[in-house]
Amino acid sequence: MKPGRIYLDNCVTTRPAPEVLQAMQPYFEEKYWFPGNFVSTGETINEDIDQFRHTIAQTIGASAGELQFCSGGTLANNIAIKGLGFAYSSQGRHAIVSVVDYPDLLTNAAYLEKHGFDVTYLNADAEGKVNPVELRRAIRPDTIIFMTTAVNHVIGTIQPLAEFKKVLQAADHKIHFHVDAGQAYGKIPLNVEELGIDTMSISAHKIHGPQGIGALYVRHGVKLGQLIHGVKRFDAMQTGGLSIALIAGFAKAAELVFADFDATQAHLRELSNYLLQQLEKNIPEIELNGPRGEGRAPHNINVSIAYIEGEAITMMLDMKGITVATGSACASQGLKANYVLMAIGKNHVQSHGSMKFTLSRFTTKDELDETVAALAEISGELRKRSPLYSATHKEK
Amino acid sequence: MQYSQKVLDHFMHPRNVGKMDNPDATATEGSPACGDQVTVFLKVNEQDMTIEDISFLSYGCASNIATASIVTDLAKGKTLDEAKQITWRDAMEALDGLPPVKVHCSVLAADTLQTAISNYEIAHGLKEVPNFSKETIVEELKKIIYPKVGEDIVSLKMVKYVGLNDGEVLIDLNIMSFDQWRDNIAEEIREHLEKYPEVKDIQINFP
Repeated sequence: MKPGRIYLDNCVTTRPAPEVLQAMQPYFEEKYWFPGNFVSTGETINEDIDQFRHTIAQTIGASAGELQFCSGGTLANNIAIKGLGFAYSSQGRHAIVSVVDYPDLLTNAAYLEKHGFDVTYLNADAEGKVNPVELRRAIRPDTIIFMTTAVNHVIGTIQPLAEFKKVLQAADHKIHFHVDAGQAYGKIPLNVEELGIDTMSISAHKIHGPQGIGALYVRHGVKLGQLIHGVKRFDAMQTGGLSIALIAGFAKAAELVFADFDATQAHLRELSNYLLQQLEKNIPEIELNGPRGEGRAPHNINVSIAYIEGEAITMMLDMKGITVATGSACASQGLKANYVLMAIGKNHVQSHGSMKFTLSRFTTKDELDETVAALAEISGELRKRSPLYSATHKEK
Repeated sequence: MQYSQKVLDHFMHPRNVGKMDNPDATATEGSPACGDQVTVFLKVNEQDMTIEDISFLSYGCASNIATASIVTDLAKGKTLDEAKQITWRDAMEALDGLPPVKVHCSVLAADTLQTAISNYEIAHGLKEVPNFSKETIVEELKKIIYPKVGEDIVSLKMVKYVGLNDGEVLIDLNIMSFDQWRDNIAEEIREHLEKYPEVKDIQINFP
């Protein structure tokens, strides 16, 4: 990658903060040990890990003992969903998820279905929001899990977690509430206590931490069936070793994001509002996907550009040194239109022409200006080549 | 997945792009729903039957634009008979290859050129509107690319049976249920056959 590249695909992964790299360094060079008892090397690491666990747990309103480290968000989701399924299947075999959820949840739901569970797939409204009333209607006496994606990974929709909690707690039996917070953690306030969450996955590399480390919150008293078996080094759920350096980096990243959470969020919100405003001003016939304003996470803007196709746009932006994402089928390995956009009622052309910009606290206004200018030029060029545009617009 | 330099060149600087005023023939293939559509415009010299001018419009990805560019380049200046020999394999070769999942784009571009030539010939009384037959169906199936390997499903012997009875098309395909491309292929077959007014119903069977 060339220096000076504009990177607007922060929902996939983010640039590690310099302080994070610094925090990791000692665990590669001096303190390269594993946790252990009665020896100073092991005890040093025990203490450090306790501190890191505490730092991260605090950011979600949990206690340190409720946080388990693992290799990332996807593993955390697997440990939680399959674990809940294994542990509570004697009480019921019904799970609820929605059609717009993150693939981790949908593939795990499909796994449960294959193993004798019934799964109800809730629909979402035109902005990607799942209706709590629909959730209430879907609950059955044998429902044991409801899972949701706190912030949608495609269109940034914030799900009404507090309302879900009310519905779940009003049910006449216990329904476990699992939340994928991959996109939400560090972007919106999340307090597991206030939101009645039982299990929640978070990931370091979405918040300027290192890749390869995540954590699963498991409420005290909630049981999970064991998914991975082996030697216990840190935590019971992901057995085996984990990189202490990565855990140190994760804790530092969390510390940085939450040091001045409100100001960082306000800054991200201002940037994404500015981006949307500039896109709408400079590119005709463009349409926002997902909610406008407070209903969406502050780092996500997703628009459809009429008459042209996203892979071509993405490649042209790439040649100008700008990284963005698209929901076009042509850019996907499976040649399928984006399932979230299709589920909220967009048509194929809107999905193929969709562009997703995800910002980070390192994004600048100048970068956004450069991106909008490049995109306006590219859209003009591709529209000149498009039979769909030519059919509806007379040449000037 | 990477494109060749030639693909990138034809994508960034397409030849023969743009709408043509008063063309002698045009054709549009593909559909916005499938994410790609190409229109080809022809100007034909009636004296020597050469393609005097050709241009295209493309709604689609980089390989869609690049293949339409190269196909029009290959056809320019050729006689209609010569141009009729241009296939998607020629387009692929001229572009130094395409990733397997993108081969279907070259088929669309070559197909649109062939339809434009055919439309010209029909309009000028040079040929009759062909009868719809089992052969028509097989010819269409030869345009369906299996994205995993970038070859057509007829060459790959994935088509076990083709039947046509009073507008009802019956196709048996040898594609297993666990194949991730099965639905894509069925969808594409429907798209290719539904454009024929003679087709009333399409039934596609799998093992």
